[in-house]
Amino acid sequence: MLIDCDVHVGYDSLLELLPYLDGPTRELVQHSGTNGLGMPSYPWYHPSGWLRKDAYDPDTTAQGKQIPGQTLATVRRLLLDPYDVTYGILTADEAAAFSIIPNGILGAKLAAAYNDWLLEHWLQEDARLRGLIVVAAQHPEAAAAEIRRHAGDDRFVGVFLPGGARVPYGNVIYDPIWKAASEQGLPVAVHTHFDGVGISPPLTSAGHPDTYAEYHVLCGSGMYGHFTSALLAGVFERFPGSKMVMIEGGVVPFLGYLWRLDADWKACRTEVPYCRRLPSEYVWESVRFTTQPLETPVDDDALWPVIKNLRPAETLMFASDYPHWDFDEPTQTLRLLPEEIRSAVAHENAARLFRLSAPVTA
Amino acid sequence: MSSTEPREVRVAASDLPVPGQILVVEIRHHRVGLMRVGDEIHALADRCPHRGAPLCSAGEVVTDIQLAADGSLQLGAADSLIRCPWHKWDFEIATGTCQVDGQMRVRRYAVRHEGSDVIVSLDSPPKAGDVE
Repeated sequence: MLIDCDVHVGYDSLLELLPYLDGPTRELVQHSGTNGLGMPSYPWYHPSGWLRKDAYDPDTTAQGKQIPGQTLATVRRLLLDPYDVTYGILTADEAAAFSIIPNGILGAKLAAAYNDWLLEHWLQEDARLRGLIVVAAQHPEAAAAEIRRHAGDDRFVGVFLPGGARVPYGNVIYDPIWKAASEQGLPVAVHTHFDGVGISPPLTSAGHPDTYAEYHVLCGSGMYGHFTSALLAGVFERFPGSKMVMIEGGVVPFLGYLWRLDADWKACRTEVPYCRRLPSEYVWESVRFTTQPLETPVDDDALWPVIKNLRPAETLMFASDYPHWDFDEPTQTLRLLPEEIRSAVAHENAARLFRLSAPVTA
Repeated sequence: MSSTEPREVRVAASDLPVPGQILVVEIRHHRVGLMRVGDEIHALADRCPHRGAPLCSAGEVVTDIQLAADGSLQLGAADSLIRCPWHKWDFEIATGTCQVDGQMRVRRYAVRHEGSDVIVSLDSPPKAGDVE
């Protein structure tokens, strides 16, 4: 059994969402710009391609198109079938930008349309697929309403927030999101995406990176900010039952931050009274991490002595990041971990978090 | 797989790839990518030694960007690298060596000429040079 916690899908053009939008928004999207509304994207371009080259057809893809839409047939052929994926958790690609455009009202409309598109084109088409509800985090009340709109639909197993944000996700402005998600029993998945783009501040306070390579090394920085913010703001005390997943922020950096969190909490705890216990205690209970991009030291053996401190048997879940260029192949990723925790990472931890059971076979 | 299956395939001159192209042939269920660098044809396994990606059937031939001694940027030998479709690591087509990890090398296969045709076999190439 294998659960892949990070499978990106997307539309070819934002205009594909038109049927799912209300009339005024449809009119706006259709007539904006030169040929319809576009989303902001990275100012750094991957020098050799965002995607796995075999995940799309370069010969039929229009020159200049950056994220050609992924077809269900391709995802089945390259990921679900060959790796016998029991469940694939679908994560947003361009749709993550709805959360970092300045117009939160528009972002919320687009997010709702995307979720309906996702249901119709993906979730109801393959029983192995599950979705994360895309919301516009810059409009927290609308985001909460969108989470509640899908209440009871078990094809959605969580909420998606990008790493890029106006302020860190522990800030009180996001309380409606945490409240709605915890009430619905849905984990909030924060995924590195659009950090330093749109309304989010520069990737680090050093300023904007010059290159994609520089960006990519640092792209988890937003994740570490959200991680620290949610823990010290007491999200897990104030919204009991809240769960958070850190997707594509790596593994090793979180450990360093967690050690600092525990140490600093001891001295500063009166400033953060809603964080009543050592931050690490909340992590063991309520925060999960995904493998990709699992750090790759020159010596494979150097990895485990470090990441074992993050209690991966309980906290770590497999993710491939298909179809992106830094895709982690399941077999080779799991082989880097001790055999006794592979099943926990491959599926058990994710099944528990997302409430996924073994599929019924005929 | 039958051991009586031929260990080699013949590729007509008219089917051979031009620089920048990749022709994938199959020999005993082994997929082999043929590429041309300059006047020479080279054969590499369709498997990236890093994570097993379909190197030749989904990769692309590229030209390196190199830093010259005077600090200027220059192009390397035209169409002399193959880039993995997954993680974008580059390998030298003529030798199979990885540009970013000296421990990695793509498996190479022997190539010889018979008239204007090329014969690709599952044998390893001679140590010096690919073409007889």
